[in-house]
Amino acid sequence: MSTRSYQFGFEDGRVRVGWYAIIAVGLLVGLYGLYVRLTTGLLETNLTATVPWGTWVAFYIYFVGLSAGAFLVSAMANVLGMKSLHVIERDALFVAVISMIVALLFIQADLGRVDRSFNPLFHRQGMSVLSWEVHAYALYIGVLAGELYFSMRKDLVTVSETGSGIRATLAGLLTLGRTDTSPESIQTDRKWLKRLGILGIPLAIFFVHGGTGLLFAVNHSISYWHTGVFPVIFIISAVVSGLGLVIALYVARSKFFGDHLSRELLAGLGKLLGVFILIDIGLKALDTIVGLYGMSPGKVETWYLIVFGENAWAFWLMVLFAWLIPLTILSRRTWRWSPRMMVVAGLSVIVGVIGTRFVIVVPALLVPDMDGMPAGVYAGTAEEWILSAGFIALGALIYTVGAELLPLKPLEDDH
Amino acid sequence: MSQSDAPGFDEPLVNYESMLEDHLEESLEELEKTEYSTDLGIMMAADARRVSNGELSSAEYWEKYDEAALAEFGEEYARTPNPAVDRVQQTIREETAETLSCDACSLPDVAEDVDEEPAEDDHIPQWGMVIDLQKCVGCESCTTACKAENRTPPGVSYNVVMEQEHGEFPNVTRTHMPRPCLQCQNPPCVQVCPITATYKMDNGITTIDYERCFGCRYCLVACPYGARYFDFGEDYDDEFDEEGKVEVPEYGNKRSLEDTTGQAMKCNYCHHRLERGEEPACVETCIGDARYMGDLADEDSEVAEMASDQRAFRLKEEQGTDPNMYYLK
Repeated sequence: MSTRSYQFGFEDGRVRVGWYAIIAVGLLVGLYGLYVRLTTGLLETNLTATVPWGTWVAFYIYFVGLSAGAFLVSAMANVLGMKSLHVIERDALFVAVISMIVALLFIQADLGRVDRSFNPLFHRQGMSVLSWEVHAYALYIGVLAGELYFSMRKDLVTVSETGSGIRATLAGLLTLGRTDTSPESIQTDRKWLKRLGILGIPLAIFFVHGGTGLLFAVNHSISYWHTGVFPVIFIISAVVSGLGLVIALYVARSKFFGDHLSRELLAGLGKLLGVFILIDIGLKALDTIVGLYGMSPGKVETWYLIVFGENAWAFWLMVLFAWLIPLTILSRRTWRWSPRMMVVAGLSVIVGVIGTRFVIVVPALLVPDMDGMPAGVYAGTAEEWILSAGFIALGALIYTVGAELLPLKPLEDDH
Repeated sequence: MSQSDAPGFDEPLVNYESMLEDHLEESLEELEKTEYSTDLGIMMAADARRVSNGELSSAEYWEKYDEAALAEFGEEYARTPNPAVDRVQQTIREETAETLSCDACSLPDVAEDVDEEPAEDDHIPQWGMVIDLQKCVGCESCTTACKAENRTPPGVSYNVVMEQEHGEFPNVTRTHMPRPCLQCQNPPCVQVCPITATYKMDNGITTIDYERCFGCRYCLVACPYGARYFDFGEDYDDEFDEEGKVEVPEYGNKRSLEDTTGQAMKCNYCHHRLERGEEPACVETCIGDARYMGDLADEDSEVAEMASDQRAFRLKEEQGTDPNMYYLK
């Protein structure tokens, strides 16, 4: 048997060096942030009793959303049978797993007692949304990993049998010993992939991300969060960010890894993104109208802070980058077919939804619980931001190494 | 043993005496079987009979035998309430009562306590508070007393006094509203805690398990009254001794810098004081007697009466928290 050299990674060595250098900078900066976090606890944050959640919680829900969104894109491929999406299925699953890992890192950083972070698995509390969420996250990561395995196994076997070097060794390990590539065995893989996808869809929609929205919405104490449509908005903006990420990765892979790029698929993803952005705007508008119509002081004050307060940057980041820029690009057919314009739209959404998450977490907490109590003041400290940069760089590193070593793009185009 | 000099009727007395003599023979045998002194037993029994005949007071009796009995029977004797105590006069010597480690009381009293229906004794209070806003002058001595009592870290103040000015000059009024934890009957903070690190006790007080809380701060977000705090790791360093510890009654012992770091904190009505039968520090210190603490489950209590006053109101009732905290407007 002749061995082939599989080359999934960067075509241009200089681009590779440049990209890893950027990641290295992020990791180094993050390492200092980690040192500060481990030695001083939460002292170097700007969190207070009035604003107990801040930057890290915003990034936590951002990455949970990114994961759920990317997963739902992959689910469209394997459950709804959208054949053209199969080429991005594994990539979407892989990035969904990484996003969950990054999300959990953020929530670990935010805990006051990291040494007790496994307590939710020992002491359950059925009335707590957060208690259910922890279990949903664990199950969800299992489902994602299982799907990725069944989706990729055939190619892992091929790489391990016909390839050489680290890629073949790693692929051999990841097959978990199931090296049968008979049509029946492939059929079993597809069957389980579909089963896990069917389990994963409600899990991702209602538990993982709807549940994360619920975690906020159940608080009667914070009227801005306390609406029925709030968890739904979470899900929609999750799909928006997930689609943005998948689009950006799809274009980046063709540009830097030399993967085949289907402009038709790209335009299709673009249309889908446009539709979800419009739903996102529409639902937020409805929620806002309901909230402001009653002139309830808590809601009016929160909206004032969202639009004009010190943290208004988040709202305008959302409006500009998650709504206006991508919608402008997606509105023109020629731009939807242009990889260059689409990558801008995708990246714009990825950045813009960070604003969405900060709008959710911070301004609502600034409003004092009762008249006469101190109003909250919050802006993330440098320490909070650099640890965030480190976690994001770590996510980028895991993705890039995985993308260079694993057959995340199907080896045969017909798949 | 002769009882001939005892008062009584002639004829039956003889019969009783012979019966007693017979019985005594058997008793001797019985006493021999035990490991304890037979002589002491005989002497105590004989004198016990004199006590019942009125020849000897029980005070004199115990004067005579207490030490010997303690020496003979040891710990078990000390722990047993003595049945032969005069019902009318509490004649156990104080030292003896102390060694018995029981209240100086007679057996019928003890029996009464034992037989008592447990329900009445098991009355579980619902600790609640009433604050009369007309009496509050906003001096914040409650806030200060709370800080001093519970030694809370910087940024943590279980009690705050909110101020509001109403009206325009010259018709201005000011309201001061002290806010400890409201000890809700449906506490949202307990509902959201993923690990049951915070819980409501059956006496109505919600508290935190500092050995379990992992610091997610969900409870701080969920509390509609802002009554929950978090130890972000700051401390008044000069409060701590060389070992890095400070005496804090709230934790039942000395608290070190790290004990509460990274955990949620809240007012528990000075539970350590309640257990001693004292009022919370904020209530005790209030200069205007504006704060009242008591059992809301007891309809006749002062707080229960005030809570049903026309002036009484509760904060944010629409949230369904059902606080055990009433204000009088």
